[in-house]
Amino acid sequence: MTIDIFWRIPTHGEPSSHRSRKPWRGDWFPGNDNLTKPGLSGGEDGTSYIDYLAEIARAAEISGFQGGLIPSFPSTDEPWVISAFLARETKTFRFMIPFQPGFLNPVVAARKTASLQRATGGRALYNIITGGGGPQQLWWGDSVAHDDRYARTTEFLDVVRGVWNGGPFSYQGKFYQVEDAGLPDPLSAEEFPEIYFSGSSDAALASASKHADYYLSWLEPFDALRDKFNRVKERTDVLGRKIQCAVRVDIVARPTEEEAWEEIRRGFDNIDPAALARFQGTGERSESVGAARQRDFRPTTINSYKDLIIEPNVWSGFSLLRGGQTQGIVGSYEQVAERLDDLVRLGADAFILASTPHLEEAYRVGEEVLPLVRGRPSGSAVLRAVG
Amino acid sequence: MTIEFIWQLPTSGDGRYGDAGQTRRGERTASSRPPFTEGVSDPRGDRFNFLDHLHQIARAADLAGFDGIQIQNDLEGDESWIVAGYLARSSRRLKLLTEFEASRGSAVYAAKNAVSFQRFTGGRFAWQISQGGDAALRRRHGDYAADSERLPRIGEFVEVARGVLTQSPFSFKGQFFEVLDGGFNGPLANHPVPLIYLSGNTPEALRLSARSADVHILDAAPAEELKASVATLQGLAAVQGRRIAFGLRIDVLARETEDEAVHDAQRFLAQSGRAVGSTDPVVGPNLWAGFATAQTGAAASLVGSYGQVAERLTKYADIGISSFVLAAIPHFEEAYRIGEQVLPVVRSRIATQLSKAA
Repeated sequence: MTIDIFWRIPTHGEPSSHRSRKPWRGDWFPGNDNLTKPGLSGGEDGTSYIDYLAEIARAAEISGFQGGLIPSFPSTDEPWVISAFLARETKTFRFMIPFQPGFLNPVVAARKTASLQRATGGRALYNIITGGGGPQQLWWGDSVAHDDRYARTTEFLDVVRGVWNGGPFSYQGKFYQVEDAGLPDPLSAEEFPEIYFSGSSDAALASASKHADYYLSWLEPFDALRDKFNRVKERTDVLGRKIQCAVRVDIVARPTEEEAWEEIRRGFDNIDPAALARFQGTGERSESVGAARQRDFRPTTINSYKDLIIEPNVWSGFSLLRGGQTQGIVGSYEQVAERLDDLVRLGADAFILASTPHLEEAYRVGEEVLPLVRGRPSGSAVLRAVG
Repeated sequence: MTIEFIWQLPTSGDGRYGDAGQTRRGERTASSRPPFTEGVSDPRGDRFNFLDHLHQIARAADLAGFDGIQIQNDLEGDESWIVAGYLARSSRRLKLLTEFEASRGSAVYAAKNAVSFQRFTGGRFAWQISQGGDAALRRRHGDYAADSERLPRIGEFVEVARGVLTQSPFSFKGQFFEVLDGGFNGPLANHPVPLIYLSGNTPEALRLSARSADVHILDAAPAEELKASVATLQGLAAVQGRRIAFGLRIDVLARETEDEAVHDAQRFLAQSGRAVGSTDPVVGPNLWAGFATAQTGAAASLVGSYGQVAERLTKYADIGISSFVLAAIPHFEEAYRIGEQVLPVVRSRIATQLSKAA
């Protein structure tokens, strides 16, 4: 299968470059909850942050991305709402909606999804997340324990699939029950959304193997990622269900490698020392296995941005420049495309890329990097890397 | 209290005449017969569906001067929150009164989604939380709560949603919902709680509205009969130190003359397979009971000339109704008719009365 490449919608707001946190687009700001003059939002003319997000979604579809991941955190706007709001003003953009199954009744979720499919011409996808546990989970009003939550995720998707084509479907699970359920016509004629699944624990893999189409991982050092993808594919092959793998990765791509690293250097030099100290420290732990893996790949002494280069073109300080993941790819257009092809060779079937600012960079990456990615021509065998 | 007129959006289909279940304009399904003969080319393909027509109805309500739209929670149709978002950017001022049941999931998640609605629409999102159907129907939708638990669940849902929207940290542990140190911060803080519209005629429902509703929606009945409900509920609210507003869910069939309206009403009944029965449908001045279809769901309809219908609506305003949730089939054409012919009359009569009273 050919490679699907997605973009990301910055629900956190975003700075106008990697170099500095100012000016900030949108009204959210990590570490500053009292931004007095938010950019691009809350204008007296009635504009709001959704107007900027609409620009990004359209830039992404015009420059050739499949669509975008719309992250959901306690501090962000919500992807279901953003997707519905932007349905009519996009043409090909696919809305990847992260949500935790515990938050919605599965029959309601099925109706929401089918309606969104109807509103968009089949452009909705799920990113099923099961939650990191701890205090964060109780903030959302969810007190189910870590491994139980994956059991619930499995049940949730059992029910959504069960009712999807009209039923009648009955189910007696530990978390969900329905009786003679089914989506009404014409909602029942819609395509079921592709499922991107996140979660690194064994409980997560067991659940993913039953329902996921794509296993989604943050970028990790390439050898670690190869092992992880092999493990996922072995596990799901045993269960009889082929699953694809996808990588979320931030990138900085410039005409030359020097320019790309200069961008990182300037950004690093502008980091608040306290933020760097927090980055090196332990921070608040959650039960998330994925977050722990990210920490493990981090060096203990950081004197320069160069100390965070963990392999060629891979920098592990992205979360210092903006919220989100740690590892990302830095290099010339050619190098970034080559690293993406390396990831294809070690098992990636899809990407969610991002760069700041997401609007202008959607065009840059779409025009300069995507045309250089060889990907995997349709019909060629899926290569399983062996070391 | 200013008067608001809210037009219903029929999320599971509309009718050209009385057979409201039969028409979903724009919709093409594999099984449906092509609308044109083989001799006429049809450029539409499958590029449209009923949501495109819902979009037109919302635009019609916007252009015809309504203050809001009520997005039905019709389990045979499209999901109301998605429809609300889908339409939101196409109107500049319509209130989006979105109906749903408290069985939909986490109250915190609903509140968080509501914050995005409020941020993106300038605070136009409103909630109509309904009790849902009978137990068997609710089990089909994954809801196994007992009948007696429905109202307490709505109460908790509202309490948790209000809590996280207005306080941080907010904690709550109830029978149905739980949150620990919740609440929204930064740019998600301090957005207006969606106005909450509740309904129901039982003493329990009235007590819940007294405590939790901003607006209590009454089913259509003669104005004299509703007076008592308004007084009772306002009394219960006063005990809570609150005042609530009243809404009325009523259908309208208005024509230039009363004769035309009655004629169309009778044709409407015949076309929807309900011959004008042995019992007189007229239960009050211009008020027909048992007339509305399942799609609109109103208990009764006003049938009369533009002037008569306007007069009756003014009468309801006199007894304290300030939110009119109106519907008529077909919703698109009738939005223009009611917006052009009836609403201006009601508005000017109420304004005249207010200026006299002043």
